[in-house]
Amino acid sequence: MSATDPASAEAAVAAQQRPSASARALDWLRRFARRSPVSAFWGVVAALIVLIAVFAPLIAPADPLTANFRMMSKPPNEAALFGTDQVGRDVLSRIIHGSQTSLMVAVAAVLLGTTVGAVWGLACGYFGGRFDLFSQRIIEFMQSFPDLILAMAIAMALGAGTWTVILAIAITRIPFGGRVIRSVVLSVKEMPFVEAARGLGASHMRLMFRHILPQCIAPYLILATAHLGVAIIIEASLGFLGVGIPPPNPTWGNMLADSLNAGLVPPWWLVLFPGVAITVTVLAFNLLGDGIRDMLDPRLRGSV
Amino acid sequence: MLRYVARRLGLGVLTVFGVSIVVFLIMRILPGDPLVAVLGSDGMQRLTEEQRTAYLTDLGLNAPLYQQYLGWMGDILRGDFGRSFFRSESVADMILRRGPLTAQIAALSVLLSWVVGIPVAIVSALRPNSVADGAVRFLSIFFLAVPGFWLGMLIVLGLLFAFGYRAPLTGADLLGDPWTTMQMILGPAIVLGLGQAAYIARMARSSLLEVIREDYVRTARAKGVNARAVIRLHALPNALLPVITLSGILLGFVLAGSIPVERAFGAPGLGQAMFQAVSERDVFVMQNLVFLYAVVFVVLNIVVDILIAWLDPRIRYQ
Repeated sequence: MSATDPASAEAAVAAQQRPSASARALDWLRRFARRSPVSAFWGVVAALIVLIAVFAPLIAPADPLTANFRMMSKPPNEAALFGTDQVGRDVLSRIIHGSQTSLMVAVAAVLLGTTVGAVWGLACGYFGGRFDLFSQRIIEFMQSFPDLILAMAIAMALGAGTWTVILAIAITRIPFGGRVIRSVVLSVKEMPFVEAARGLGASHMRLMFRHILPQCIAPYLILATAHLGVAIIIEASLGFLGVGIPPPNPTWGNMLADSLNAGLVPPWWLVLFPGVAITVTVLAFNLLGDGIRDMLDPRLRGSV
Repeated sequence: MLRYVARRLGLGVLTVFGVSIVVFLIMRILPGDPLVAVLGSDGMQRLTEEQRTAYLTDLGLNAPLYQQYLGWMGDILRGDFGRSFFRSESVADMILRRGPLTAQIAALSVLLSWVVGIPVAIVSALRPNSVADGAVRFLSIFFLAVPGFWLGMLIVLGLLFAFGYRAPLTGADLLGDPWTTMQMILGPAIVLGLGQAAYIARMARSSLLEVIREDYVRTARAKGVNARAVIRLHALPNALLPVITLSGILLGFVLAGSIPVERAFGAPGLGQAMFQAVSERDVFVMQNLVFLYAVVFVVLNIVVDILIAWLDPRIRYQ
């Protein structure tokens, strides 16, 4: 104990004022759980799903691609908990591996689309004028297509593949990022602190990225989490319609499409389980998103 | 009002033009070779350079882009939507044959979404945080997460197991054979209707909660108007305005959603045609169908906007 040592006393005070990052994160989580317990529960479910997706090869009981002709179209049993499909592949393993693809595509597409939209919206809101007017028309044209139809057209034109699906979904997310961030920027840029920075001679770049951008982070996060669920459903629909990730790689959507080829009447276990996976995942991300929105900006309730 | 309609229509024409450009760009500029679609990638490799050029010229794909675009627009204005590579029926005939079924599904689903969504929202908003409200909120969140086409597959399977029933698969017209048509459209309409009802109920609930706190609602109550009449005659008409707008936006959800849902039910509507065009990589049919869907979406939204302006003077005098 060296209370007289000024250096260590200062360090102690500093430590008290600025708790470590992990302590702050824990505290934030605790407040989150207290404020919206339902969202916290579904957040845990979402975290579990992410873990399953990341460690899919370790968790899956069987190889998702190996056909087994002695075990074709078997209903759920001890060897295959969710049954097997028409060429004897284990449905549970395919769903687990499918979670990896579905989540990867959804996260990549939402991040890409929302980020591009956000930067575009930032520029529109900040510069205004003819550039903004022109951009708003383009965004309007993009929003004149129902999401899934635009994604279908792009995915088909580009040809099957993981990146084309990501790109197709990302493009449908751009208008949302653009609109929301633009409106945030429009209100932020009139605030006194931005005016002060401009008065001090800050450049456009500095004003945009140093002063205005940080104000856009909360809406950006809210928007991104809110759109994860939609992205998962679009990915599944594309897979179901045969323009998603091509087989044999399993995705929830192409498994459902496959089940329609399994005979005149699809076996129920081929239909039920992939759909449950989609529903639970989307539900988890949507409710987690609602909680994050309430936490970061309660005013946005119902608007994003 | 007339000025508003005229301005809205003008903007609509601009939007349709922009939409046509976007469709054209997606289908022609993106790096897929349309010939791969026609001949398959194996067939492509056996093609000599001359044959390739001949094919492209034959299909009009060697002309400069702006000529291709103008040609396409000219065809559409003449009502010529081209022909599929794979079928003898012209696309225009196919749209006329299959379109009505999808339109009926869409109309019935919108009707259902209101019939289900609005009463549910009223119950929910009048007793916020009650058990009924909680159930309604959970259900609306749940139906936002369920993919419609999967729900459709479950319904088809369930009906088959329970009653050995399968909806008829071949076309019929609503007036000639209403019962057959009803069986075909009811399933898809219920699935799409519930999906929309979830959004509608959520929106109507929050909008109603806002409106019943307004002064004029309190005044009406204070004058002694009974609670039911206040909700029905004072609060609801104002609370429903944003719901009508949302319903218009949700038409996009119905048009797009009907593609996988029709596939799940095996209903022979326009969505099935779209699915066929996609699985056959039929670029030209796809181009026209995507354009058609977008134009329908734009036109319906103009109708909704005009309807809103007619109902709400605040908008038309802006």
